[in-house]
Amino acid sequence: MAEAANINIDDAVLVRQCRRGDSTAMQRLLLKYQNRIYNVIFKMCQNVDDAAELTQDTFVKIIENIGNFRGQSSFYTWAFRIAVNLTLNYRSRAARGSHSSLDTADETDLQAKEALKQFLCDESSPDPAAVAANKELCELIVKALMELDDPQRAVVVLRDIEGMNYAQIAEVLDTELGTVKSRLSRARSNLKEIMESISK
Amino acid sequence: MKEIPNIDELLNSFIDGELSTRQLTEVQRLIANDKQVARRLGELKNCKMLVGSLPPAEAPAEMVSRIKASLAKETLLTQPAHGTETFDRRVGARHLLARKVVAAAAMIALVAGLVLTVYTIIGPETAPEGVLWTTDRPVAVEQWQPPVREVEVAVAEKPIAKPAADVMRFNGRLEVKTGDLVAVNAFINRAIEENGLSDYVSSEVEDRKSVYTINCSRQALALLLADLEYVWPRFDSPTLSVETGRIGDRIMVNEVSAEQVAGIVNQDNLNDCIKTARDFAVLNNMTLALPGKEVLAAIGSEAGHLITIPKPVLTSNERPLRKPAAQTEDGERVYLTIVISAGE
Repeated sequence: MAEAANINIDDAVLVRQCRRGDSTAMQRLLLKYQNRIYNVIFKMCQNVDDAAELTQDTFVKIIENIGNFRGQSSFYTWAFRIAVNLTLNYRSRAARGSHSSLDTADETDLQAKEALKQFLCDESSPDPAAVAANKELCELIVKALMELDDPQRAVVVLRDIEGMNYAQIAEVLDTELGTVKSRLSRARSNLKEIMESISK
Repeated sequence: MKEIPNIDELLNSFIDGELSTRQLTEVQRLIANDKQVARRLGELKNCKMLVGSLPPAEAPAEMVSRIKASLAKETLLTQPAHGTETFDRRVGARHLLARKVVAAAAMIALVAGLVLTVYTIIGPETAPEGVLWTTDRPVAVEQWQPPVREVEVAVAEKPIAKPAADVMRFNGRLEVKTGDLVAVNAFINRAIEENGLSDYVSSEVEDRKSVYTINCSRQALALLLADLEYVWPRFDSPTLSVETGRIGDRIMVNEVSAEQVAGIVNQDNLNDCIKTARDFAVLNNMTLALPGKEVLAAIGSEAGHLITIPKPVLTSNERPLRKPAAQTEDGERVYLTIVISAGE
């Protein structure tokens, strides 16, 4: 969160330089955000090629429209709004032709399921490093995440992975703060149930 | 817990640090007093932690080059035509503006030159005393005679005499080229004869060159020049040189017209002649320097009428005008040499 706040100050300068046609400034913005935007997109679509393509499209849109960016919102939320909108639109089109299920979870290592079960019930705070180190466990979490509908997944990814606050999420999704709260609440509740279901 | 979704929202906001101080206090009290709420808080925290523990994905290394390639591709597909159009429009607008500025400057210079010329020619202080101007040619009022009478030629001295160095009068040399020397010679001889100037003109006609030396009154010369106006279009590069009275100093009027020669000759005194010649020299040189020289062409041909200055006419005198005598007093006589060379 603090990182996002620092970015805003630098972004204003870089954006001003970009609007003057400074390609170096644009490249700096690109390098600064490419991994974060890619990560959010990838967590929402879970496809390497799609994520790369959507990230590329996001930056092309940013560069093409930087001249129209009036600074009413921060560049940070503006850029992520473009990325999330592109991803949601893409997912919406792709969802018409395919449907995922939890069946594949049955093939996952039983140890991973057990680990997930323990983490969910753990009353003490689990160690994130231990979670990240367990590849099979991460796959289960991703599968659970992908079971959420796209708007709920978007809120969870923006909050728990990108680390945005509620106001920033509301800006990115162009929605009310209350909607963000209720959507995030439902998303976490659903996610917990899905994880419990997977871990059984 | 599903029956009380507001509790979930509060707990999530508590986890995310989005509660106000008052809400935070309430939630903390609720957690402390209700084990079920505390357990729910733990579940939600774990859920958040599990998602947040997913390792971050990194963009492909070639992302920057991919974006650049994509932009270049889009530029090739869409922007070039638009961009080129914009560039061309800008360049075109600049050229158009430059042309407008040059044209405006040329017009201003031309108008200024014309005004100067007009003022020089018809200015009241330069009007010869006793000489009336019609729209065609100057006429001496004092020497008015009924039209039926022949023009008297009063010769004060032997014609064709070179002007004495101490006599300040117009002395010029008009050099022209023509592709039809025979016809031009015939026309000039006829004009000399019709204006009664045969005795005041000496001519040397050779195969490729003719020289006419005229020594007569200003008015007679003006009449001759008026006639020469008809043959003027056959002249190529007519140049008038006017002696200033100082050795080696003369004024060259390039591309001079018949009206301009007459305007110079008909000044009151040599100083005015010189001044007028200078004005015409500047005007003509400026016109020659204009791009396209359209203005020069206009002045040289049909637009010659444009600079035919309406001369003041004596309205109080009801006597009809007559042709002036070829000669008057010695001080009014002028000297002009016309050199016609055969050209292409």
